[in-house]
Amino acid sequence: MNKSIILTSTLALLGGFLGPNSFAQTSPAMGEATKRIAATANKFLASLGESQRAKVVYDFKDEAQRKRWSNFPTGIFRRAGLRMGDLAQPQREAALAVLAAALSPQGYQKVLEIVEGDEVLKKAEGGRLIFGRDEYYVSFLGQPSPTEPWMIQFGGHHLGLNITLAGEQGTLAPSHTGAQPAIYELEGKTVRPLGREIDKAFALISSLDEAQRKQAILGFQMHDLVLGPGRDGQMIQPEGIKGLALTEKQREMLLDLASEWTGIMHEAVAKAKMDEMKRNIAETWFAWSGPTEKGSAAYFRIQGPTVIIEYAPQRMGGEPTKHIHTIYRDPSNDYGAKWWKR
Amino acid sequence: METLTVIRSRLGLLLALVALPSSALAHRLDEYLQATLVAIDPGGFLLQINLTPGVAVADQVLALIDRDHDGVITTNEATAYAELLKRDLIVRLDQRTVELKFTGSNFPDPTELRTGLGIIQMEFSVKRGALAAGPHKLTVENRHLPALSVYLLNAARPESASVQIAGQKRNENQSGGEIAFEFHPPPNPSIPVGMVTSLPAFLVVLFAGLRQAKKKWKAY
Repeated sequence: MNKSIILTSTLALLGGFLGPNSFAQTSPAMGEATKRIAATANKFLASLGESQRAKVVYDFKDEAQRKRWSNFPTGIFRRAGLRMGDLAQPQREAALAVLAAALSPQGYQKVLEIVEGDEVLKKAEGGRLIFGRDEYYVSFLGQPSPTEPWMIQFGGHHLGLNITLAGEQGTLAPSHTGAQPAIYELEGKTVRPLGREIDKAFALISSLDEAQRKQAILGFQMHDLVLGPGRDGQMIQPEGIKGLALTEKQREMLLDLASEWTGIMHEAVAKAKMDEMKRNIAETWFAWSGPTEKGSAAYFRIQGPTVIIEYAPQRMGGEPTKHIHTIYRDPSNDYGAKWWKR
Repeated sequence: METLTVIRSRLGLLLALVALPSSALAHRLDEYLQATLVAIDPGGFLLQINLTPGVAVADQVLALIDRDHDGVITTNEATAYAELLKRDLIVRLDQRTVELKFTGSNFPDPTELRTGLGIIQMEFSVKRGALAAGPHKLTVENRHLPALSVYLLNAARPESASVQIAGQKRNENQSGGEIAFEFHPPPNPSIPVGMVTSLPAFLVVLFAGLRQAKKKWKAY
């Protein structure tokens, strides 16, 4: 009895000392995954010529390259690294294999659908070179390693993936996903790269009762992301309804909605992040701006101690529901900085 | 004369829209996005404003910045535009107007601004004297180019534990809003920490001493 009290007290003290996020995002499964991703990345590097290798690997401490990502298309925003359109087909496949290793199957699928959407946009826009699947860039910060921190960047129009891996730890924050067109036909199938996000969000807002909606719905228009690309290091005061005021079922729906971003990464990172979000659910907020009728253009935000997610339909370029910007950040650990920054 | 100017201006806007490259359709068009983040800390306030003119209004905005139309934004022109913007910002703390100080800016190249993708960054600060402990209200109103603009207004999460945001209100288009916050300064650091921590021990010794003295007094 006494032993269990001592053990519980010690754990509680240790927990209090280390803080609520200290156990997050660390697991042997993650270490195994990092090893596998590093091996795939090294295969990609081996497929390149010397001049290409020099262009794709940056120093891990290169802050300019770390922050060189955007929602804008190439030509307007200058990216660095290797352009997919400049790679031979086997090299291109090797680059995509790195993403497939780092992401979950559904995360990888989402990325491919965003890229294909840009190819559709390129055709609709008269074949301009700044859009399309050739205009995505891949780069590494640091050498791929199973133990040392390194980073994979993959981005272009409406996509900015920043994957930091450090042995048994990993994060996708900060990353940008977007879509234009947000719905298109490909080989006879309707594709909605960010469709599950808005479907789940409408289901959640519909589940709120009147008093809850009063808290969740912001009484003003939202024209864009508040903490989009270029807003590193900034954080806003949370608003909306707090997780504490949601029912158990609604909390599950909120976590399921967030999983559309946290689940882009491979299973081990996604699970660790979701466990962390579950621990912080009472302190996680959900905010909404715009109509609540399914199919309308609405903005929403999820904000907790270790996550901020925004989804913002864009008014420019026609129908707002067909042009979406989203952002995923970790206010406590963007770029995995707490694992390597001194 | 004024009507002619308006017609010319509208015709110019129409021509600009017609002449847009198709790629521009993917980006901000006829709006000037003004996104303001308000940071409150014990020493003052900071307004960080990101300004993104859409492709169809970029020339109108640029005309206010690049005054000599030479395609270069000089330091003087940047400062003059900051002053122009400052005049359109009304900031009040507890109903009293406070004066903003222009503290920094970053202007992209005019050619980039004309794509509808360039972002002008502006920073204004307010240094103020001692703030009384308790609740306060900071109101921000942005009257800069209202016919062209859409707005975002947000309080930054305070970095200091002595400032807590109690609530935020905005008007529908976020051109104005009110941030309610509480300020609770830390205990006066002029009192030495040693004195504060040793005070209970001192009181115990004093109390014991008094009891002892009382017993002795009774014995007499």
